[in-house]
Amino acid sequence: MFPWQKQKTEAIEKRENRKISKNLKDNIAYLEEQYSYGLNYDFESKSVHGPTGKYHLLFYSTTVNTQQLSNHIVSPLLEVKKDIPINQILSVPSITPIKNMGEAEKGLNEGSVIIFKEGLAEGFEAKIQDFKHRAVEKAENEKTVKGPKESFTESLPTNVSMFRKKIPSKDLIVENINVGMRPAMPVTLIYERDLVNDEVLENIKQRIKNITVDNIRNVEILEQFIEERPSSLFPSMLYTERPDNASNFVSDGYIAIIMDNSSSCLIAPITIWSFFHSPEDRYLRWAFANFSRLIRAIAYFITLFVSASYVAVTNYHSQLMPIDLLLAIASSRERVPLPIAFEILLMEVAFELIREAGVRIPSPLGPTIGIVGALILGQAAVEANLVSPIVVIIVALSGLSSFAAANYSINHTLRISRFLFIAAASVYGLLSLLGAILLWVAYVVSISSFGVSYFSPATPSTKSTHDTFFRKILKNERWRPGFLNPKDWDKY
Amino acid sequence: MRQFILILSLLQLAMILSGCYDRKELEEQAYVITIAVDKTDRDNIFRFTFEIANPEVGSSATTPSTNEPAQEMISVLGTDFLSATSTANSSVAKEITLEQVRVVIVSEKLARSKEFIHLMQSAPSTVDLKLNAQLVISKEKAEEFVRHNSPNLESRPHKYFQYMLDRARETGVIPDAPLVRFFQITEGDADLFVAPYASTVKKPKDSYGDEDSYKAGEIDFHGGNVTQFMGSAVFKEGQMIDSLTGEETRYIHMMDPTFPQQVILSTFVDPLEPEYNIAARVQLDKVKVKIDYKKNQTSTIDVYITTHLNIFAIPSTEDYMKSQKKRKILYDSIQKEILKNGEKLVKKTQEEYKAEPFYWSLHIRKKFLSIKDYEQADWSNKIYPNAHVRLHVKVASLEFGKTLRQSDIGRVRD
Amino acid sequence: MELTKKPLRTREMVAIVFMIVGLKGGDTTPALFAEHAQNAIWLGPIVSFLVLLAPFLVLMYLLKKYKRFNLIELTFHLIGNKAGTILGLLLFASGFVALSTDMRNVVEEINYLYFPNSPTIAIYIIFISICILIANKGWETIGSLTWALLPVIVLTILAVLIVDMRDAVGYRIFPIFGGGADVVLKEGISKSSAFLEFLLLPIAYQAFHQPKNFRLGIYTGGILSCILIVSFYALYTMMFDYNTINNIAFLYQESTEIVTLGHFFTNISTFFMIGWLFSSFLRFIIYLYIICWIFGAIFEIKRFEGLLLPIGFISMMLSLIPPSFAVNELIVRETSLQIITPLFLIFPFLLWGAAFWKDRKKT
Repeated sequence: MFPWQKQKTEAIEKRENRKISKNLKDNIAYLEEQYSYGLNYDFESKSVHGPTGKYHLLFYSTTVNTQQLSNHIVSPLLEVKKDIPINQILSVPSITPIKNMGEAEKGLNEGSVIIFKEGLAEGFEAKIQDFKHRAVEKAENEKTVKGPKESFTESLPTNVSMFRKKIPSKDLIVENINVGMRPAMPVTLIYERDLVNDEVLENIKQRIKNITVDNIRNVEILEQFIEERPSSLFPSMLYTERPDNASNFVSDGYIAIIMDNSSSCLIAPITIWSFFHSPEDRYLRWAFANFSRLIRAIAYFITLFVSASYVAVTNYHSQLMPIDLLLAIASSRERVPLPIAFEILLMEVAFELIREAGVRIPSPLGPTIGIVGALILGQAAVEANLVSPIVVIIVALSGLSSFAAANYSINHTLRISRFLFIAAASVYGLLSLLGAILLWVAYVVSISSFGVSYFSPATPSTKSTHDTFFRKILKNERWRPGFLNPKDWDKY
Repeated sequence: MRQFILILSLLQLAMILSGCYDRKELEEQAYVITIAVDKTDRDNIFRFTFEIANPEVGSSATTPSTNEPAQEMISVLGTDFLSATSTANSSVAKEITLEQVRVVIVSEKLARSKEFIHLMQSAPSTVDLKLNAQLVISKEKAEEFVRHNSPNLESRPHKYFQYMLDRARETGVIPDAPLVRFFQITEGDADLFVAPYASTVKKPKDSYGDEDSYKAGEIDFHGGNVTQFMGSAVFKEGQMIDSLTGEETRYIHMMDPTFPQQVILSTFVDPLEPEYNIAARVQLDKVKVKIDYKKNQTSTIDVYITTHLNIFAIPSTEDYMKSQKKRKILYDSIQKEILKNGEKLVKKTQEEYKAEPFYWSLHIRKKFLSIKDYEQADWSNKIYPNAHVRLHVKVASLEFGKTLRQSDIGRVRD
Repeated sequence: MELTKKPLRTREMVAIVFMIVGLKGGDTTPALFAEHAQNAIWLGPIVSFLVLLAPFLVLMYLLKKYKRFNLIELTFHLIGNKAGTILGLLLFASGFVALSTDMRNVVEEINYLYFPNSPTIAIYIIFISICILIANKGWETIGSLTWALLPVIVLTILAVLIVDMRDAVGYRIFPIFGGGADVVLKEGISKSSAFLEFLLLPIAYQAFHQPKNFRLGIYTGGILSCILIVSFYALYTMMFDYNTINNIAFLYQESTEIVTLGHFFTNISTFFMIGWLFSSFLRFIIYLYIICWIFGAIFEIKRFEGLLLPIGFISMMLSLIPPSFAVNELIVRETSLQIITPLFLIFPFLLWGAAFWKDRKKT
C-alpha cells in the first residue's frame, strides 16, 4: 500500500473512533464542523428543550420524514415529564444507541436523525429516512401480456420487500456486503439458504470483496466489476427488472444481487438459455409458450445469419438459388454500384445508426427517426440505385428480429456477432461462414459463468428441467437445475 | 481496446480479401438456361447454342421496363460444354455459367451419330452442369428449335420449358429423362434409354388417327407457339435408333416401374359404339415384373399391370354406370386394348430393337450373385430378345367422375 | 472454478463417435470401396465392422479390466515402456497418415465442388486453421460442441435420406454381391482400417464422467454409425448404377445434386453442404485432437494442445504431396489402408496376450 493511502486510512480510523462526550456542545460543534453546518443548506441542527432536559437533533432535512420527525420525536421529547431513557420515549420503529462519532456519521449519511442529550455520553439514531424514489411501476423493458406487471424500483427496501412478498420463507437470506470506500455501499445478495450452492455463493462474495474501487453506486457498474470475462461478447450475469423473474431464479437456487439506486437486479450464475427465455414462457400454457419460443428462436437465427447467408450465397454459391429468385436478385442489382458485401454492410450500419439515434433522441423528436429511417434509408436509397430492394428487406428483417430477443443483455451480442458473420461470409462464402459459426459456438460452449457451463443443460448435461429451446409441461419438471449443483435437487 | 482494434482490422482484412478467387457478383454472370447442340460437318466439333436469360425482363414490377429481349441466343463451335462456354464468353461480356441449365436439346441428327456419346461423356465432368437437367431430342436442328420456340404466355424462357415438360409428362406422352438417367442406362448397357422428342416444324399427318399416335411435329394445331413435345427418341448404347409415338411412350410408362409419375391421361375405344372414344385418367400401380430365368433357354417374363381408371368423358352416352353387363364389356374391352397395344410395343422392341426400354434388366439382376455372372448372362443380347413376354393387364377399379348417370341424348333431342 | 469435474457423458461420446466414424458415409470412402466391390459397396463396411469387432471388443475388455488407464497408458502398463513406445508410435503414425489422406480428400472435395477456381492450399489453410483453433479449446469443448451441432447434422442426414430415397431404385442393389462375394470380403477386410478411429478413440477412455459413459457411448455411436454408413452406401448404389458409381468420386454431393424438389428448388445440393461441412470440420477437429493426444500420451506431454499447430501443419504439408486427388484417393489412401490394417487387427490381441501372461506370472 502506498504511504499516502496509509495516512488517509489512519486519519479516517481516528475520526471514526472518537467517543461521544457528555458535553452536548462539544458533540454538536464537532458534527456541525464535519457536516459544514450553514454551508450545507439542508443540514439541520436543532435543539429541543423539553421538561426533562436539553436534547439536540441533527439530520438532513431532505432525507428524513418530517412528519414522523415532529410527531414521533419532537412531540414526545417536549411532552415527556419523567426522565426516562430516550429509546423508551420515542415511538419510532427503529432507534438504536450509538457510542462513537463514526456511528453517528454513518447514521447521518444514511439519512437518520441523531439525538444527543445533555449529560449523556451516548447518542441515539432514529431511522426515519425518507429517500425519494419512484413508485413501483410497470416493467418497461421486459414486457409481458400474461403475468405480474410490477418491476423493481430504485430503492433497496422496496426491492427486498418485493422479494419477501414473493418468497415468504425464513430460508430466504438477504445478505449485505459493503463495497467501496467513498462511501461504502451495501451490495445485497439474495438467495435461498437451503438451495444455493455454497461454492458459487462464496465465489461471488469473494469477487465482491475483492473490488478495490472507491465506490460502486449500482448493479450495472457492479456487474462489470465482478464478471469473469469483461471483454467477452457474452454476458455472464442476467440483468432483469422483473421481481417475479428474479424470484423464480432465486427459488431455483440462483443468487440475485441487488443494490440501492438500481431498478434491476443481477442473477448469477447464468446459462445462455436464460437470455433466451422470457418469464412469460412460464406463465403461458405449454403449447403457447413453446410456440412463442419457436418464433423467438427463428428470430435469433434470422438476426444472426440472414445477412451473412445472403452475402455467402450470392457471392459464392449462386447455384443454390432457384433460378427465379436468382434472376430477380440479379436484375435488382443490375444498377447497384456496390458489391453485395458492401451493400449489406452499408444498410446494416444505417440500421444501427437509426437504432442508436432512436435510443438517444429526446422523445419529442422521436417521430423524425421513423420518417428519416423509413423514407431516406429505405425508399430513397433504393430509388437512387444505391442499394437493391432485396437488401433492404433482408436488413430490415434481421434488424427487426434482433428486437425479439427476450433480454437486453444478449441484444448487443447478437448485433455484434452479426457483423462478424457478415465479414466471415464475404471472405470465403459458406466455408468461412460455417467456420466462423463453429468458432462462435465453440466459444459459447467453452465459457462458463461462475463455474457453470454456459451451454448447460444442453451440454454438458445434468439432471435439470432441460429448459432449453423448448420447455416441458410444468408438472414434468422434476429437477432443479443440476448444473448449479443445488443443495436440494428434487422439486417434489 | 486492443481487441477492438483487432476486430476492426479483421473486418478490414475481410473486406480486402473478399474479391479473391471464387467470389462472383450475381449481376456479373450470364445464366444459361438451355443448351442446344448440333452436329457440324466436322467430326467431334459441335455447334453449341446457349440461351441466356435476361434477368431484367419480367422480374420486378418497379424496374423501368426495358426493350431488351427476354433471352439472348449465342451460337458457337466447340468440342465439349466447357470449351464452348469459354468460346461464347468472347462475345458475351458477363461470365457465362451453366449451373442453371434446365434443358439440354440435341438434334436428332447428332443423336443418331456415333459422336453423341463422346459429347455426353464431357457432361459429368463439367462442374457447373447439373446432371438433373432434362435431355430433349429435337427433330430439326437444335439451334432452329430454340430460335423458333417463342412462348407467348411465359415471359421467362426457362419457365416455358419447365411447364411444358411437366404438362407433357403428366399426360404420359413424353418420358422423364434427366441426364443422369442417360448415364445410368447407357453405362448399364442392358436397356434402352428414352428421351422426350420435340419439334417446331409442323408436318401434320393427313388423317386424324388415334389421339396420341403422333410424334412431335405431326399434330395439326393453330395459333400459339409452334413447339410440340410428343413421343420419345429411343437410344441404344448411347445412340438414337428410332422414335416412338406419344401412345407408345405412354405404354413405356405403364410398364417401367422406375418412372416416378404413375398417373396418365388416355383415351380408349368405346366398345359399344366404336366410332366414339372414352377419355380416362389412368392411375397405375407399380408394375410387377416376374422373370423366370432359364439358362440357355427361353426365359419367360410375366408383367402384371394393374390400373385404376377414372372415366370422365363418354361422348357416346352409353350407360356404363348403371348397367352391370355394359360395364363388364367396358372392363374387358379396356383390358384387351391395353394388352393389345402393350404386346404390340413389346413385340416391336423384341424384334426391331432387340432390347427393351422398360428397364426390366433390374428385375433379372436378383437372380445373379455377382456382376460378372450377370454380365455373362447378357440380358440385352441373349435373354430379352428371345424371351417369352406375357402381359397381364387388370383394371382394378372403374370410376365415373362426378356424374351419376349419362344424360339421355335421345330424350334431349326430342 | 468448475462445479462439475469431467462433465462429458454418454451423449457427447455418441456424438463424437457418430461424427468421426459415421460421417464416412459422406466422404470419399464409398468411392474407395466402389472400385472393386461395385454395387456391393454397402457390404464392404459390414465386413469391415465385423472384422474390427473382435480386436475392438478385446481392447474394450482390457480397458474395463484395468480401470485406470487410457489406450496408451494401458499399452505401457502391459508391454513395458520400450515396446509400448514403439507400438504407440506405430498407432500414431498410422492415425497420422489416415488423417492426412482423409483431410486432403475432404479439402479437395470442398475445393472442387464449391470453390473450383481457388487454389487447394487457400482452402486447406482456412480449413485447418479453424480446426486447430477449435481443437485448442480442449476435449470438453470439443465434446460439447459436437453435441451442440448434432441436431443440424442429423437434420441434414435425414433430409438427404428422404430426398435421395425418392430417386432411388431398389432393384439396383442386385446382384447382391456386386463384384463377387470373394472380392467384397477381401475389400472389406483389407480396408477395414478405414474405420480405425474405433481403436484410437479409447485414448479418451478416462475423459468422461465415468468410464461407463465412454463404453456406452462408443457402442451406441458405433451401431448408429454402422447403420448410417451402410444405409448411405446402399442408397448410393440404388441411385447410381454399378457402372456409374465407379466413376463418381463425391457420391454424397453428386447424389444430392441430381435430385430436385419440385421445380422451384432445383439445385439443392449446397443446402446439404451446410451439415456436411459442419461435420467435416468436427470430424477433423476430433481426429486432430486425438492424434495429438496419443502423441502427447506417448511422450508424457501434459499440455499437448501445443502440438496441434505443428502436427496439423505437418499433416497438411504431407497430404499435399500427392499430385492429384485421384492419386491420393486411389493409390496413397488405398495402399496405406492395406498396410495399416494388419496392425490394427493384431495389436489388441497382442495386448491381451501380454495381460494374460502378466496374470499368470502373478499367480
